[in-house]
Amino acid sequence: VNAGWLTTALILLPVAGALVVWILPLRPFAVGSTALLVALAEVALWIDAVARFDFNKPGLQLDQQQNWFSDLHVSYHVGFYGFSLWLTGLTVVVLAAATGYAVWAGRERPRAYYGLMLLLTGAIVGVFVAQDLLLFYVFWEAMLIPLYFLVGVWGGPGRLRATLLFVIYTMAGSLLMLASVIVLGISQGTFDLISSGTSSSDWIFLGFVAAFAVKAPIFPLHAWLPEAYRESSPEVAAVLSGVVSKVAAFGFLRIAIAKFPGPVSDFRTPILVLAACGLIYGSLLAFRAPDLRGVIAYSSLAQLGLIMLGLFAVNDLGLNGAVLQMVNHGLISATLFLLAGGIERRAATGELGRLGGMARGRPALATVLMTTGIIALAVPGSSAFAGEFEILAGVFTTGWGYAVVGAVAIVLAAMYMLRLISAVLHQSPGPAVSEAALDLRPAELSIVVPLVAILLVLSAWPAAITDRSFSGSATQSVAQVFR
Amino acid sequence: MIVAAWICLLSPLAAALAITLAGNRLSRRGAGFLSTASVAVSFVAAVVAFVALLGDSPDDRSHYSTLWSWLTAGQLDFGLRILVDPLSTFMMLVVAGVGALIVAYSIGYMDGDDEERRYFAYMALFVFSMLLLVQGGNLLMLLAGWGLVGLSSYLLIGFWHERPSAIAAAKKAFVMNAVGDATMALALFLLIQRTGSLNFEVVFPQAGSFGGWAANLVALGLLGGAVAKSAQLPLQTWLPDAMEGPTPVSALIHAATMVTAGVYLIVRTNPLFEAAPRVLELSAGLGAATLLMAGLIALVQVDIKRVIAYSTMSQIGYMFLAAGLGAYSNGMFHLMTHAFFKALLFMAGGIVIHALAGEQDMRKMGGLRQLMPRTFWCFLVGALALAGIPFFSGFFSKDAILASALAQGWYGDVLWVAGLIGTFLTGLYAFRMVFIVFLGEPSAFVREHYHELKQDVVGRALTWPVGVLTVLAAFGGWLQFPPLWTPVTTWLDPVAKPLVEASGTEEAVSSIAAVALGLAGIWVAWLLYGARTATVPRYARVQALLEHKFYFDEAYDAVFYRPAVFLARGLGRWIERPLVFGSIRELSEGVRDLGLGARRLQTGLVRTYAFAIAASLAVVTVVFVAVR
Repeated sequence: VNAGWLTTALILLPVAGALVVWILPLRPFAVGSTALLVALAEVALWIDAVARFDFNKPGLQLDQQQNWFSDLHVSYHVGFYGFSLWLTGLTVVVLAAATGYAVWAGRERPRAYYGLMLLLTGAIVGVFVAQDLLLFYVFWEAMLIPLYFLVGVWGGPGRLRATLLFVIYTMAGSLLMLASVIVLGISQGTFDLISSGTSSSDWIFLGFVAAFAVKAPIFPLHAWLPEAYRESSPEVAAVLSGVVSKVAAFGFLRIAIAKFPGPVSDFRTPILVLAACGLIYGSLLAFRAPDLRGVIAYSSLAQLGLIMLGLFAVNDLGLNGAVLQMVNHGLISATLFLLAGGIERRAATGELGRLGGMARGRPALATVLMTTGIIALAVPGSSAFAGEFEILAGVFTTGWGYAVVGAVAIVLAAMYMLRLISAVLHQSPGPAVSEAALDLRPAELSIVVPLVAILLVLSAWPAAITDRSFSGSATQSVAQVFR
Repeated sequence: MIVAAWICLLSPLAAALAITLAGNRLSRRGAGFLSTASVAVSFVAAVVAFVALLGDSPDDRSHYSTLWSWLTAGQLDFGLRILVDPLSTFMMLVVAGVGALIVAYSIGYMDGDDEERRYFAYMALFVFSMLLLVQGGNLLMLLAGWGLVGLSSYLLIGFWHERPSAIAAAKKAFVMNAVGDATMALALFLLIQRTGSLNFEVVFPQAGSFGGWAANLVALGLLGGAVAKSAQLPLQTWLPDAMEGPTPVSALIHAATMVTAGVYLIVRTNPLFEAAPRVLELSAGLGAATLLMAGLIALVQVDIKRVIAYSTMSQIGYMFLAAGLGAYSNGMFHLMTHAFFKALLFMAGGIVIHALAGEQDMRKMGGLRQLMPRTFWCFLVGALALAGIPFFSGFFSKDAILASALAQGWYGDVLWVAGLIGTFLTGLYAFRMVFIVFLGEPSAFVREHYHELKQDVVGRALTWPVGVLTVLAAFGGWLQFPPLWTPVTTWLDPVAKPLVEASGTEEAVSSIAAVALGLAGIWVAWLLYGARTATVPRYARVQALLEHKFYFDEAYDAVFYRPAVFLARGLGRWIERPLVFGSIRELSEGVRDLGLGARRLQTGLVRTYAFAIAASLAVVTVVFVAVR
């Protein structure tokens, strides 16, 4: 039985939840709890989808199609592939954790806040499941709107400047993508991603690339990133770097790489070079960043460069590794941002120079931060190592130089993550750390420990994802445009 | 056998998880006992696997077992896979055996530290990682264990995390090892490209067909990992700093087991190294250079643990020398005897440090023989074994290495001479330490700070493992006495067939020369530090060179670290700032101008807006269609 309704339900449940918290006159606390319940129900729905999904079968599953504008061949067409199922899982889990964190921390104007968070969830899931170009674009834009508000209204003191940068950059990208969507749809005679063929147009390709590259972001289009990640509330930063950047990487895989085999091979070298530059650039800046958020933000830039290396290697190792690393990095950076939020609450600052010595008497914080940090620096044996290893092994066959750059980045990653860990946990307490600063509370633990637990399970069994992202060979799957 | 091997591997991991999750519900002492018991279980399981393997015919002693696919991509499949064969059981016995003794000793040494539980969880994690390294059934599992031992080493060096020096040392060790991990990973990428696998039994037979440069690159990449982990030139600088960790950690990780992993790696992947003979020679040369350099530096160290640390570096140099000459079993044999006598030295030294309330500076010590005679005798046995005096364990293993060098052409002769000079240095620095610490009259510092060990659980935990190791260090060498009996070589033969075999004459010549020079070293040490009839010669330049460890730290700081920091700062200032702030300025001006213009467009008529939206869409569309 095709359970296509499940996919639609995954989109509609959070949207309905958003409407409920907007319309019903609930008390602030009840609003948060309702939102959290909806987010958890969404996770349950996703687990149901995994249970129903047949990972050995090629092509789209749990799909549903309804005509929308039949003369333009636009339809509401949704469904899952293995890799989009994992990315959706990442989304619902991280959004649930982010919602949980917001409930714990308390946010002003809760009805608007949680409504936007839920709307955001629905829109991101929509991007991952959309099988129609126009639908993809609609969800893409629908995802950005709540983000503008979440950064701009609930952010820190510099939020307006951050939002302005973020809006202008992403709008520019989106406009180019809109044009590409329209031209591609009209030239193909259909907007359906399944039934349309591939295109050889460089310009349409670049339009998509612009949007995705801004959103990821890819060096040097990342000017909005440090401000946005620093000024948002921790849970929004977690969603931005954990999930929204993956939407862009997903776009590269689902549309840019699958639909434009010709342009991909034309533009592969410049893209790989930019990705490699971003990897080193981000790692070096992360090593010098003066604050917690800065380190995580620039490491995020570096990791996106790495994921791009894997994607544009366009071979089995690279693609599988990239999907695994998307999930890894999503969980890692979300956890790190939420922990950074917890630390900032205690010390009232994220400046590394004013922190320190927090391990003493705070075993839970020390254990969780240490574990996450160690996975983040991809210690061999961790799931992040598995992802990086596949990516670099994949790009090695494309050009060994990229793998050497990646190897240098492994060392740099060790340097910046250990710096962060030590600056927070070790040596004597910094001026901003008071004796009274508490260890992680049970509520905070219940938010971050599940994320870390997933990372540990993935470390024991990364093949859970690599073996279930593409049916058979990833390269073949991409070459046949996932049919 | 396979079940025993999995139990051996997983039992310490289970203990580490249990201690972490139990938290305060487990007493500190309980954590120590749990950790010790789990490693003891590993040792028993290793013995079971060993005995079972004895029952197989020598050519049929490799058994693989895969738990599940760890990582996949298309046709590639890297399993969570272990290998039980003569080499891995040999290492399992050494690691789990010495490991169990040292973890037990820790119960005494760490008693009263308020984070004992964390310590024992880390120790168990380390043993698991080390066992994964030696049991890994493909190069990816080996690399996973490789990285995890580096991690445990980082955690344990930085265990006393409030000391800035400990944290700096821990970070340095991790980053240096990450360099090695990275070069190893590159070698693995090349192997994947060439063979489509990382399984030993698939990769090794194809090693001969790689061709010159590929074979050399693979071997060089692996050698990079090996020198980083084993603190050999040129990645040796982290090991002395690692002495910031608790002393049992130094004994287990930075003497007996982890730092010898590089030797294991070369022996394990010997077909890949044999396909690149120049790289194999390079590893022997690096070993020889390291053993001389470390022996020289050890002469001027004043911290008792650092002397032993440089001695470790020097002894691993011998093992590299052996492995690089293709004398694999001699290298492994020295690895084993070294594990015994070096762990003994560290632990006996640890008792001294413990008795002097944590003091490690030898200049403040002296006359301890009268106060702690049993510790003195144990330490003396360790030093004699280290100096290669007949018939202590080091004598058998070191002389076999020198004999193999002598049997190996002119290059071998050069290395032989280096190794002999090394034996002189070994005798000198080892007994310098013995004489300074134990002979003479108790110094004022000793009289003030010395306190007796109590004969309770703590005291017993400190003493009986040292006793066991003393016996092993004294007699463990009799296991192999080439050319009369060679069970170790025979046992390892199916995995690593030696490329060189020394004749009886070469054995005899090497033994006599080495023992003579070792005794000469001890004699000089006696004159300078025991009888004090001669004064220590002082050459300021040489002294400075040795005290600065040949300026490696300074050079690396100038060549790698500073440029990286400089580059990062430059990127921040010249690219990142203009990029971010430039965008902000441009955009805010742009938006203001746009706003002024847009005010006139705000007609309030929906029709106009709709038309504007439609028109702009149309324009964009037309432009794109035209451009195509």
